[in-house]
Formats: sequence, C-alpha cells, structure tokens
Amino acid sequence: MSLTDSQAIYVSRLGRGTLGLSVVVVAILAGICIGETPIPVATVLRTLANRIFGAAYAVDPIEMGIVWNYRLPRAIVAACCGSGLAICGMVLQSLFRNALADPYLLGISAGASTGAVAVTVAGLGAGVVSMSVGAFVGAVAAFLFVAALARAAGGGVTLQGTGQIVLAGIAGSQLFNALTSFVVTKSANAEQARAVMFWLLGSLSGARWPDVWLAVPIAVIGLFACIWYARALDAFAFGAESASSLGISVKRVQVVLIGLTALVTAVMVSIVGSIGFVGLVIPHAARFLVGVRHGRLGPTVALIGAAFLIAADVISRTVIPGQVLPIGVITALVGAPAFALILLRGRRRP
Amino acid sequence: MTSSRLPFAAASLAALTTVAAAEPTLYPLTLENCGETLTFEKAPASTVAVGQAATEVLYSLGLADSVAGTSVWFNEILPEFRDINDRVERLADNDPSFESVVAKKPELVSVQFLWHVGPDGIVATRTQFHDVGIPTYVLPADCEKKDNTVGVDGTRSELFSTEAIHQGVRELARIFDIRDRGEQLVASLTERERKAVAAASALKLEDVSAVFWFSSAEMDIDPYVAGSKGAPAYMMDKLGIANVVESDEEWPVVGWETIARANPTLIVVARMDRRRFPADDHERKLEFLRTDPVTSQMDAVKNNRIVVMDAHAMDATIRTVAGIEVLSKALEDFGLAKK
Repeated sequence: MSLTDSQAIYVSRLGRGTLGLSVVVVAILAGICIGETPIPVATVLRTLANRIFGAAYAVDPIEMGIVWNYRLPRAIVAACCGSGLAICGMVLQSLFRNALADPYLLGISAGASTGAVAVTVAGLGAGVVSMSVGAFVGAVAAFLFVAALARAAGGGVTLQGTGQIVLAGIAGSQLFNALTSFVVTKSANAEQARAVMFWLLGSLSGARWPDVWLAVPIAVIGLFACIWYARALDAFAFGAESASSLGISVKRVQVVLIGLTALVTAVMVSIVGSIGFVGLVIPHAARFLVGVRHGRLGPTVALIGAAFLIAADVISRTVIPGQVLPIGVITALVGAPAFALILLRGRRRP
Repeated sequence: MTSSRLPFAAASLAALTTVAAAEPTLYPLTLENCGETLTFEKAPASTVAVGQAATEVLYSLGLADSVAGTSVWFNEILPEFRDINDRVERLADNDPSFESVVAKKPELVSVQFLWHVGPDGIVATRTQFHDVGIPTYVLPADCEKKDNTVGVDGTRSELFSTEAIHQGVRELARIFDIRDRGEQLVASLTERERKAVAAASALKLEDVSAVFWFSSAEMDIDPYVAGSKGAPAYMMDKLGIANVVESDEEWPVVGWETIARANPTLIVVARMDRRRFPADDHERKLEFLRTDPVTSQMDAVKNNRIVVMDAHAMDATIRTVAGIEVLSKALEDFGLAKK
C-alpha cells in the first residue's frame, strides 16, 4: 500500500466520520425543531443560544422549557438508545453467528417487564423504587438467570455452546414473560394493566437531563467496546474455533461482550422501555452499506441506530396530532418496509 | 322486595324532592340493554355486582340486601355505605371468575364495564351467563353512544351525559320493581347537578379552559388525561370550560408539551387510593407540576389554580355529580367570575 493510498483512506475515513456525525447532529436538530406542537425554528435557535452561549434573547418560558428540557434531552436519549441497542444487536449477531440475534435475546426485555410490573402492579418497593429501577433489576436478574443456565448447560466457546446460550435465552424469556402475566393477572387492583403495556412498547416522553447523563456514557462504552474488540468480532464471524486459532481469547471476549451488551441493553430498557426492531435490523442495514468488518461496521451501526431512533421518535410525535404513539410501533412500521427494501436491493448485488 | 326492608336511603332523598309515585313494574319486563334484549319474569331476588359503580348504584337504590357478592373494586366504598358493604361478600378485589359469580346463583349480574362480559369478556361473555339462565345488566354509561371495540378504554361517539347514569338507575329500579326509589335518586342527582351548573353559569366565565390529569405510568412520562367526550368533558361542557384535549378516547395519553402550550386556566388532578404508579398520589402530581421546568411556568400552576378531585368522580358513575360540584366550587374560589 503506497503512502498516497493510505492517506486517501485516512481522508475518506475522516470524511465518512464527519458525514456520519453531521447526520446525527442534523437528526438531533430535527428532533428539537419538530414536535407535538409547532415551535418556530427561530425560537429553537434562540433557546439554544440562551442556554449554551448565555445569550439573552426574549423567549416564552414555556417554549424555552419545552425545547431545552423536553425535546433536547429526548433527542439525545433517543440517539443513545438507538446506537446502544443497534451495537448490542450487532455484537450478539456476530458472537452467536445468528442473523436473528437481537439485544433482547438474553431475556433482558422479558426481565425488564417483570421488574417494571413487580414495582407498578404488585407494589414491590413501596413507591420508593421507580419503574425504571424495577426494570433494570429485573433485566439484570433475567440475564443472570440465562447466563447461569447457559453455563450449567455447557454453553460457551463451541458452536453448539452458543446454541445453548440462545436456548437458555428463550427459556429465560418465557419464564419471565410468564411471571409478568402472573403478576398482572393476580393484581389486587381492577385497573387494566395497559399503562404498563404502553411503557413496555417503549416511550421516550419521560426523557429528561438526568437520563441523558446516564444514557450517554453507557452508549459511549458500548461503542468503544465494540471498536476495541472489532478484530475479535471479525474473527468470530468464522466461528469460535477459528477465532481461537487466530489467537483470540474466546472465552474472555465472550464473557466481556455478553456482559457489556446485557448492561447496555438493561440500562436503555430501563430508561425508555423495550423498543424493538432497532437492535435486530440496523446492524443488517449497516452491513449492506459498509460490509462486515467491525472496525467500520461498529461506528456505522451506532450512527444509523442513533439517527433512526430520533427519526422514529419525531414520527411518533407527529403522526397523530395532539397524541403520541408508542415508539416501538413506529420503529417496526417504518423499519420493516425500509429493511425489506434493503434486502431486495442487496439481492441484486453481484 | 319490599321497601320496609330498606328504609335508609329513601327518607333523606324524599326530603330533597317530592316525586309523584311511579307505577309498579309490569312483568314480564322486556328491555334493551347494550345490544341485548332482556326479559324478566319477576324482580330478581339476588344480584352479583361486577364493578364498583354497579355496587354503589345498587346500594343507593337500597338494594344492599339483594347483593350476593361484589367485585372489581377501584377504591374505598362511599362512606355512607361502609357498614352495609361490610356485610356483603366481596368475591374478588379484581375480576371475579365466572364460577365464583355463578356459584352465588344470582338472578341478575349487574355490570359496570362491558369489557368484563362483552364479546371478549374477562369474566365470561354475556351469552355464557345467559346459557346458565342468569341475565346480565350492563350500566348504560359504558355502552350508550360508546364503541368499546375502539381505543383501550373505548371511544365515545357523542359527548357523555349524566342522562346515561340516570338511565341505569331507572332501569335497575324497574328491574327490581322499586321505581319510586329510582325516581327519587335521579331527582336528587339532577337537583345537585342543576345547582352546581347554575352556580357556575352565574360566574359568566370567559375563555376558561382545563385539563384533567388522571395519572401517569412514570412521573415524567406523558400523562393520561381526560378525552373530549367522557364524564370530565361533560363536566367542563356543563360548567362552560373548554377542554384542551381533543382526543375522543376516554383517557388518551397526551404529551406535557401539548398541555403546556395549551396553557389551560386550571388543572384538575385525580386523587385516588390506587398506588400503582408514583403519579397516582395526587401530592406527587402537585409536586411535579410545581417543580418541572416547563409545567411550573403554566398559568394554572403559577396562580395555584389546581383542583384535586376524586378519581371516581371522573368516571361515569353516580359520583360524577360530586365532581361537577367540586369543579363548580373551584371556579368560584379561584375568582374566575367575570368582573
């Protein structure tokens, strides 16, 4: 490889990075400008100037609050959740060599539901523990159950072993889903459990600044871990045995990455509920765009995931005037046809 | 059923109003109820109530001795019925099983919500009850001008009216052959409503708007608020208040952004015994309104125009009239009269 070639690669990588980041910034700006109620772009920009640069434009306090305290944290949390979930899906798809793997494979979504329901319906935690904390605890408990079961069943480095993990995940999900139904059914209160269901489909409406400070570091950790382990993930594509023969400490990488994806997913689920589809489909879409090498794939997945979830959130807020749809509905409604298109186009490639 | 067994309610109601004695019910009695035709050969000797509102209507009609069991409880029984209620078996706090209802061998099942006995009934379908010879009566407030197949809590095609509550009272009174008592109860409810509405219209309100906040799944998340056609909408309509929510659903989820921008004159928050969500506690609702950076800027919050109302007054029940009274009083207390 000549010097100019490597320079060209460097420049184009920088260019791609800049392009990707600007896509996310534009998406966040769109997320702030478009909402349930129309707020002029000038008001949005004045608010940002006031809050970031200490300018003193006269802005209606309610509009300023909506832009700064509702819409901006919401867009940032959406970006973090989108990228975090998409990265987790990508990592698990690679580790298990399973195109259908998604972040909820390890029972995390089912566990989060159980935890949320235990707090809200069964009243565990006596009103002190919030639904988010319950969801996080439930998610971690479900993951530990699945991990322990997989380990006891001999899951691990072999191809058969990864099969055990997937099966343990199915068993864990079923168990925790059953627990959720049990708690809901025997609840002592006659109100329907629909509020819980709404939350389980995902909602970003509760995102505020404290959520941002939780979501951003977790998303960054997820992204860096996948860049750090990019070579190992590439090797896993050829199977755990091949990865091992390439000198990769298969067991350690598996434990670290599975643990990290569980953590990232559990945190995201506890902030916004189980938003489906992003973790399953975004990695595939990104592979069509930039190929299967994880050094490039990881950041692409993160960027697309971020932009996609912000866009889905904007749509969920605007499609029915004055009312907000669960975002999980939008991710599937918009995502499924988009993915079908990608699939069909990918087929025509030589 | 004789009135001598049930002396308690009639006296106080009769003091409020005088009603001409109504005709006794002629059996067999046939009536249309939520899409089914019911025929009664005689007044039912016993009934099981599915839904707290049904229980309270039966108690208000002085039928407590006929109630063989209650179920689907949302909060405490009205204080005046506490002693009576203690003597009646509670089949279930929540949805009763089909068999537990049938085991009481009731001659009528009185139902508050159609979703308990509708085509996808959680307890059983009406047909299942009718197959074992037990008629079901569903309070018309939940099915008149309301499509229960649309929306989570159903969607009303027209603005709810307390007429539907009165209709339920009258029909139950006919079924049990106590039409006098039914008319007295309706007269007393109507009179209370009339007074509250008259007091509000004397204020000559202009541009007064409101939002009813029931609860929220999480403290910060989009809240459940009253739609444009349910019982709260009726209260607002009667008292000359505009609802800032436009959805036809009973309790739609609407974002704080939309509510804050609409900036209603007053906010009504629900008080309830339920503690499923942090926001079920009305104190937490008040705290949120006062501390959230956006809602704290709303006129209603800055001027402390927040009304606390019993959640059950916000449902289509005989308690609705109490909600109208509370709201009417608040309008006066807040000094919203046109000067």
